[in-house]
Amino acid sequence: MPCARYITSLQELADGTIGSIRRAEVEQHLETCEDCRAALADLEKIRDAAASLDELQPPERVWLQIAGRLRQEGRIQEAAAPAPPRRYLHAFALAAALVIAIGGSLLFIASRNRQVPATAPATATATPPTGVPDAAEVQAAATAVEEAQQKLEAAIGRLQQVADASLQAMDPKTAATLQKNIGIIDQAIAEERAAVKAEPMNVPARESLFEALKRKVVLLQDTIALMNEMRKGNPSGAAEIVGGKG
Amino acid sequence: MTASKLTVRPTAPAAAGSGRMAELALVERVRRGELGAFEELYRTHAGRLYSLACRMLGNPADAEDLLQEIFLAAHRKLDGFRGDAALGTWLYRLATNQILDHLRSRAARAGQLTDALDDTGTIADTASGRLGDRAVTKLDLERALAQLPEGCRAAFLLHDVEGLEHQEVAHVLGIAEGTSKSQVHKARLRLRALLTRGSSA
Ligand SMILES: [Zn+2]
Repeated sequence: MPCARYITSLQELADGTIGSIRRAEVEQHLETCEDCRAALADLEKIRDAAASLDELQPPERVWLQIAGRLRQEGRIQEAAAPAPPRRYLHAFALAAALVIAIGGSLLFIASRNRQVPATAPATATATPPTGVPDAAEVQAAATAVEEAQQKLEAAIGRLQQVADASLQAMDPKTAATLQKNIGIIDQAIAEERAAVKAEPMNVPARESLFEALKRKVVLLQDTIALMNEMRKGNPSGAAEIVGGKG
Repeated sequence: MTASKLTVRPTAPAAAGSGRMAELALVERVRRGELGAFEELYRTHAGRLYSLACRMLGNPADAEDLLQEIFLAAHRKLDGFRGDAALGTWLYRLATNQILDHLRSRAARAGQLTDALDDTGTIADTASGRLGDRAVTKLDLERALAQLPEGCRAAFLLHDVEGLEHQEVAHVLGIAEGTSKSQVHKARLRLRALLTRGSSA
């Protein structure tokens, strides 16, 4: 412990607020008192550490909540805010229609390709007596799937552009998470596409590719929806969307 | 509650010319209801005010809530901003008042009879070893800060972390200048005790 009668002076010495006469007296004392020297050194260390503390950054949700409350209370002039892009709605409608079309066609090909086992008790399941698959029919359906898939990929490309623009305006951490998820799906799509290319008539391979494309549509939809929630100042809506992604 | 008219200048004075004009232009955009303008104001000042709230309250969750309240209050009161102080100073004043009100009502809820901010208790628990060659890391200090009693923590934060003079600290906290001094001194000795205890474990 430092000497009781010098404690305040040591503090003032550390602060630089001590008077010159008192300073001379304390400095003389310091030459002979190790406890006070140690105390002064510690006080200076604490003072320096305090002055160098970093600024803490609040989480992004604080701003989202503030913006949401200001909107709720009608204190924001909506006209001043940039209008959300609406052009992507068309791309989503197209993607949705293609998803349904491809799904139906794949189901058709799959059911036609499935050979009914001769030994199976066909009575209970009552398989429709469509007989042997019609190769031409299947080929036509496969071509339709091929075309629809290309259109779907083009629609995804347009959605990706909108999503990219949204990501740039987003909190970097959220954007990084979404970007990572998109990257994972892109990787899956690339692999499935390679499998389909190797075996164009392999129905499971096509189904896998189709599933991956469908997942990408959903993720892009989420990304753009998230951006809109943030624009509307609806943090709970935005949190729900991000939370859904784990 | 009496500390609403402080004259502290915690931030560097805004360059009187273009800086002040830019601030007034920003405030005008906020008044017209531009969310982007208010976001700009938030991004500029939120870190500093959040740091202060976090350390004063010793609890990030409370600090988040309070930061929200501070900026919502700022948005409401910005109409009264005349540009006679820098925007940062104006906000800082508003924030410290809100933080202190929060601390007082929290103390009242907890049934503490003494005015925590004016606590001039003795330095009984400061008997300690020495730091010696040990460095005081920022993390060590943050942890130790959270264990300080509120009264001396507030004075220490304003003086040693925020860099206010004792006179200004006294004004902000509504206490005597001598009390500010003794609170800061007490805080440092307690921190020394906490730090020597913590790092030897
Ligand atoms: Zn001594």
